[in-house]
Amino acid sequence: MLKRPIRLDMNEDPFLPPANVIAAARKGLSRLNRYADAEDLAQLRRLLADYAGVDDRRVVLGPGSEILLREMIHAFAGKRKVVMLSPSFLPVVEVARETAASWTGLRLSPPGFELQPDILLAETQGPCLVIIDSPNNPTGHLMLERQTVRALVENEEALLVIDEAYEEFARMHGADEEAPDNSFIDLVEDYANLAVTRTLDKAFGLAGARVGYAAIGEAFRSVFASFYPLLPQPSLGAALEALEHPAYVEQHVSRLIEERERLRQALQEAEARVYASHANFLLVRSRAPDMAARLRDEGVLVSDVSNQLPPGFIRVSVGTRRENDAFLAAYGRIMEDVH
Amino acid sequence: MKKTIGLIVNPVAGMGGSVGVKGTDGEMHQRALELGAKPVTPKRTRDTLSHLTCQDSITFLAAPDQMGAAYLEEIDVPVTVIGAIGEETSAQDTKQIAQAMVDEDVDLLIFVGGDGTARDIHDAVGTSLPVVGVPAGVKVFSAAFALSARAAAEMVDAFVAGSTLTEEDVLDIDEEAFREDVLSSKLYGTLLVPEVRSFLQPAKAASNVSVPSEQVKQDIARFVVEKMEPATLYLLGPGTTVRAITDEMGVSKTLLGVDAVQGAALVGEDVNEQAILRLFETYDDRKIVVTPIGGNGFIFGRGSKQFTPTVIRAVGRENVMIVGTRDKVTQLDCLRVDTGDRTLDETLAGYMKVTVGYREGMMVKVRC
Repeated sequence: MLKRPIRLDMNEDPFLPPANVIAAARKGLSRLNRYADAEDLAQLRRLLADYAGVDDRRVVLGPGSEILLREMIHAFAGKRKVVMLSPSFLPVVEVARETAASWTGLRLSPPGFELQPDILLAETQGPCLVIIDSPNNPTGHLMLERQTVRALVENEEALLVIDEAYEEFARMHGADEEAPDNSFIDLVEDYANLAVTRTLDKAFGLAGARVGYAAIGEAFRSVFASFYPLLPQPSLGAALEALEHPAYVEQHVSRLIEERERLRQALQEAEARVYASHANFLLVRSRAPDMAARLRDEGVLVSDVSNQLPPGFIRVSVGTRRENDAFLAAYGRIMEDVH
Repeated sequence: MKKTIGLIVNPVAGMGGSVGVKGTDGEMHQRALELGAKPVTPKRTRDTLSHLTCQDSITFLAAPDQMGAAYLEEIDVPVTVIGAIGEETSAQDTKQIAQAMVDEDVDLLIFVGGDGTARDIHDAVGTSLPVVGVPAGVKVFSAAFALSARAAAEMVDAFVAGSTLTEEDVLDIDEEAFREDVLSSKLYGTLLVPEVRSFLQPAKAASNVSVPSEQVKQDIARFVVEKMEPATLYLLGPGTTVRAITDEMGVSKTLLGVDAVQGAALVGEDVNEQAILRLFETYDDRKIVVTPIGGNGFIFGRGSKQFTPTVIRAVGRENVMIVGTRDKVTQLDCLRVDTGDRTLDETLAGYMKVTVGYREGMMVKVRC
């Protein structure tokens, strides 16, 4: 059998969820001939609402948060200007560009990758659909402040969707630090034109189950009126079990943050430019413009973000300690060759 | 059917890097040698050849010895040698052999060198022949180059497999100024290169169907032309993205210069500052259309004989339109201005909108 490459390219959790979650997924297989039960789906919405601190009537489910974002884009972008970050989660950028009446990317420039609130607010006057991922993928930066979000949604013609796929990593970012504005999901109760998407793919370690959700304001209600997310039985079983016993999430996230910071320091020592992250990945700039391809030759997959950023940028998901060490060793070998 | 591919290596390119000499134009090559500079091109050339997956589909022609043939001979690849060289090679050798390759009807020319080599290749072949540039200069700014030796090999593979072609910039970097840490670059011309983006993509590609650059330039042009106001004077800067606008209008364009249009008519061809200021006597409503040059993002560079500080001030920041393909813009850290007038540069700094497609724009930071 061929040796499998080390996958640090998809921002997955490198750790399996606990045995009870896997057992619940397996139990779902015994119902493979049936669609998901309506009561189970309602229970999942209630658990997610509790977890996120919102009313369960605001929660919609989907097979991955990307699908929910696509639904919103297809519903609203055709007659509106779409405003997004650049770089951002590329599949969503592409569908927005193809669908939108007009598209504006707010360029995040190295080294700070900052989003200037005045530029954001100036570009979001009138009818528009604004999609912002915070923490941003691939920079890992938090992009918004509460007052900016409020100012934006005060424009009732604007629809704002905040993608919080990596929210847990920002929230658990060290108790001593001043808490940044890592989530805006509570504001959904106040603003009809705000929606927040999230996922169990990342911090819950359920990428293979693909369970996404959104908390939506009233203006988004019509989009999902005829949207029946009949999740696969194993996914539904795993998600219910994970949310009933979510203590493991904090353990996974803490381990990954610790490992992320170790990786960051090691990369800095290897003279890479590496940026502070609030997610389970690091954005790295090296002097090798084809670093991703070279790493692939070494058996390590990282995300080649050269289609969104200048040459030399890669996005590295935080893996297990062994995987990260293998990446660092390969990175070191390549840089020796580049010298 | 086999493709005939030529190889020309500039043996002295890049030698200044290790000894702190920026560029090896003119006498600086000798200076670099005195400082113990090591050749860069052998490794880059070997890397490129070793990453080619389509060698069996290629018939090679090459410049003699260390200008090309030696690298193919050492890996036992049959090669026909073109031209003759002396002990020391020169830009003239590059130009003559490139021209001879055109006469031999090569399908593609691989060259290894820096911005100076790219200019020599441009002088010899223009856009009559697709080329692949392997970067081996001290600093390689021209967008016509592949990003690396490996990327160059991918471009050759893409060409053999039938990729589309696109025009990319060759820059004229003033090495004297560069040694003083002033980046004074302007567009020298363009080369025709295979478009790899539409052919090779990593696992999570930009999209399933990548749109060729030339199509994107047409989309940008269509959008700009639709928005044009009939009474306004448009000063169209250098570059192929701006040329697409005049193509859309059906008027001719000076690739390296500035042309003026109003309505659907050309009212000034290859105009300099004086000619532009005379046009301003007639037209009160004015706009400048520019594209960032090469890989460094300059929209207004020092030494421009057309878009001088006087001209830019008379047009106004709000009337500067920037165009560029999304691929090009995303490769930049930011946009840059260096007009030589610090006060004006500070006025231009901040965020400006770049039209990157039909009804598509990006707000990009301008630094000075």
